[in-house]
Amino acid sequence: MILPKFEFHEPRSVAEACDLMARHRGKARPLAGGTDLLVNMKKKVLSPGHLVSLGRIPELSRLERSNGTLWVGAGVTVSDIAASEAVAKAAGALGQGARGLGTPLIRNLATIGGNIGSARPAADLPPSLLVYGAEIVLVGTSGERRLPIAAFFKGPGLTAAREDEIITAIVLEVPQGYSGGGYLNLGVRKAQDCNIVNVASFLELDEKAERIRTARIALGSVGPTPLRSLKAEKRLVGEKPGERLFEQAAEAATRDCTPILDFRGSAEYRRTMVGVLTRRTLAMALAEARSRT
Amino acid sequence: MKQLIRLTINDRAHEVAVDPNTTLVDLLRYHLGLTGTKKGCDLGDCGACTVLMDGKAVNSCLVLAVQANGRTVQTIEGLETAAGLHPLQQAFIEKGAIQCGFCSSGMILSAKELLDGTPHPQEPEIRRAISGNLCRCTGYQKIIEAIKDVAR
Repeated sequence: MILPKFEFHEPRSVAEACDLMARHRGKARPLAGGTDLLVNMKKKVLSPGHLVSLGRIPELSRLERSNGTLWVGAGVTVSDIAASEAVAKAAGALGQGARGLGTPLIRNLATIGGNIGSARPAADLPPSLLVYGAEIVLVGTSGERRLPIAAFFKGPGLTAAREDEIITAIVLEVPQGYSGGGYLNLGVRKAQDCNIVNVASFLELDEKAERIRTARIALGSVGPTPLRSLKAEKRLVGEKPGERLFEQAAEAATRDCTPILDFRGSAEYRRTMVGVLTRRTLAMALAEARSRT
Repeated sequence: MKQLIRLTINDRAHEVAVDPNTTLVDLLRYHLGLTGTKKGCDLGDCGACTVLMDGKAVNSCLVLAVQANGRTVQTIEGLETAAGLHPLQQAFIEKGAIQCGFCSSGMILSAKELLDGTPHPQEPEIRRAISGNLCRCTGYQKIIEAIKDVAR
């Protein structure tokens, strides 16, 4: 398979990368791990005239927790996120998402910035980032701005990033108190497949660890962008957690999605699985929250 | 326009001029004649083109040759030493883990990354480590036995 021709740029700084993106406005694509972009170029779905490789900008590879904030540079690979103890402690569901993505070979190349920037509805990392309330740091020629991840996705392959902007980092406030998260993805196989449904849940209990104070649930692969299930969240807040309640929230989640029918599964199957994964990820989130008491 | 890149392949320094749209697998196979790295799907699905880049197993069909500039690449040809075949290569032969052979290079390199970091993995870790490498002879069981044998 032949890759369409392009000009290759390898900036050494974010500023240089933004200048290149601006200079070749509309014709340039940032190249991160390449596991999505190069495939689409080989299939001739995309043929950008310029590729701006982000692989030699050291500051994009920073992964650290400080002052209650987890900072994940856009160039951090999915395998590094999967193996990171800082991620496992601060945002367990993000680590679970990373371990569920693709294959070891893909994880060694793919980056968190690419997984978000490609805006695939079935991507593994966005649901967890949604439930942790992550922010996307975007830098362009006119400076830096931060967007809540929910405002970043506009549709399949579409984002709020301007043509001269690149994602430099994903930032989240580390959840405090009796809180926990969970992520599960369902595919046809355990590796190397596109998700049929993927769900992340987050729960925070009150100071007595009795009732649910905050609940966030995000559903992937069942809409044009990953979706929050506000119906399910509403069902949970203020209640005492338990199997029965989680069943009811799961049922509510099935009414909050717009799955499509394709060769991977029917819309009805997807809807049913949204319920199953919601119930199971809530149980994971509760187990982690209780482990902190 | 061709770009000059320098990279280390199997402990040997190479300097090559490549077009930006040349992938690492094509550089290895067609420019340097290292045909031990196989090209299967060319889309990152099958793992036949697996090589180690800076010690990490990657699909070389999803890496541009220019991205490998300055890096260290190890292919199946680089595993044998004066002392003989790599223990993984030997075990694959002895345990009957090679059938048609097309997936073997990739399987062995994925297994090598695992064993370099985790010398004594459990079976689930072995299965996860080769989950990006497809064997269309479906000889997975023998492959897992061969890796286990080296990991013992």
